[in-house]
Amino acid sequence: MVAPTRSLEDALWTALTGVPDPEIPAVSVVDMGMIEAISTDGTHAHVTVLPTFSGCPAIDVIVADVKAALLKVKGIDEATVETTFSPPWTTARITAEGRRKLADFGLAPPANGDQVLITEIGLPKMSRCPFCGSTNTRNENPFGPTPCRALYYCDDCRNPFEQFKPV
Amino acid sequence: MSDNAALVALLTALADDELILGHRHSEWTGHAPHIEEDVAFSSIAQDEIGHAGAYYSLIAKLTDQATDQIALGREPSDYRNAVLCEQPNGNWAFTLARHWLYDHADDIRLAALESSSHEELSAIATKLRREERYHLLHADSWVQRISSGPVEGRARLIDAMTEAFTDAMGLFEPIELEEAAVKEGWLPVPSAEMKARFVERTTTALDDLGLPTEVRAIDDRAAEFVASSSGDLIENAAAGEGPSPLPIAHGLGGRKGRHSPDFEILWTEMTSTYQENPGATW
Repeated sequence: MVAPTRSLEDALWTALTGVPDPEIPAVSVVDMGMIEAISTDGTHAHVTVLPTFSGCPAIDVIVADVKAALLKVKGIDEATVETTFSPPWTTARITAEGRRKLADFGLAPPANGDQVLITEIGLPKMSRCPFCGSTNTRNENPFGPTPCRALYYCDDCRNPFEQFKPV
Repeated sequence: MSDNAALVALLTALADDELILGHRHSEWTGHAPHIEEDVAFSSIAQDEIGHAGAYYSLIAKLTDQATDQIALGREPSDYRNAVLCEQPNGNWAFTLARHWLYDHADDIRLAALESSSHEELSAIATKLRREERYHLLHADSWVQRISSGPVEGRARLIDAMTEAFTDAMGLFEPIELEEAAVKEGWLPVPSAEMKARFVERTTTALDDLGLPTEVRAIDDRAAEFVASSSGDLIENAAAGEGPSPLPIAHGLGGRKGRHSPDFEILWTEMTSTYQENPGATW
């Protein structure tokens, strides 16, 4: 089978699937839906990154990692990485693949993948346990060890676990 | 004065409120009365300081300065946070009363700023409001729990809310150059109008919680801190010069850079690392 000729931009997207979220290394910045746009201007790559939680200190590392990954792509010798809050990153941007990887990592994915409107954000009383799949769980704390995580406890398998907070 | 001076003044007030209250919240790390609250206040502090960072970054871009220089390299009188934010944490009841009042005020402010004519500010407000929702849920659930709880906690909350409610008015003290910011649409709702919305919302909520009406009595004698001839800060009447110094009545003055003596202590600690080697990169 002959691989189709990929454009440079496709190669950049692929390169970024290898850039992990520093705090959740199981998922890439692409899985997280953080890459808003990729474009090229000759050998110059331009990428727009959406920060997840605004207080997340990982953003500087992410920007540096994205830039380094872009520069490794053949045909690119300059890269500009910008961040913006417009559009806002929301948990609805996490891909199906990303949600699966989060669960495998032991972090319950956000309650649902639908667009969460500000008026509808409420911390779910329960979340599906990433270890045993039970929904016999309860929220222990809407805050956790990072800005994006809430703490739950599973009353079936008796494990504490974390959920990626919907925003 | 540059064309965007009014925008910078607006952003400075917003950022300083978040930074200073974030710093106060962070003081509960390792000291909160409950392990889950230690986590909660540490996380809320991180959010607030991150939110301050979002505003400071925009100021940095507009004024061509480094973000850390703006956040940590200014003199105390250059900060424009409301006095409420700098007050010591006191007891748990005061911490919760302030958290509740501040986050409702911030919600009203962010809701207004979502329609700011300045696109970047509008985007920041939209983004921050989604995260602040968790702070509101947290504050609401605690105030509700303590209001309907045993006698001592409820009595302490009533005292704390009574003290903090008047001071919360300082969050809506007009910002510098506000008229220009409103005219440009950067601040779509004037401070006075936001204050009216805040008083209406909190009055309804406090009444629904069954707290006595005194908790929401605004002390009209609210004063501001001004420098005395000796250079010391004294409390002085904001309006109607009284014959004698007034009792506890801070709240105003922050938007003009007039702070309580507690601010200087906070500022010294908060900026100590930065001051050792300004401009250092990490």
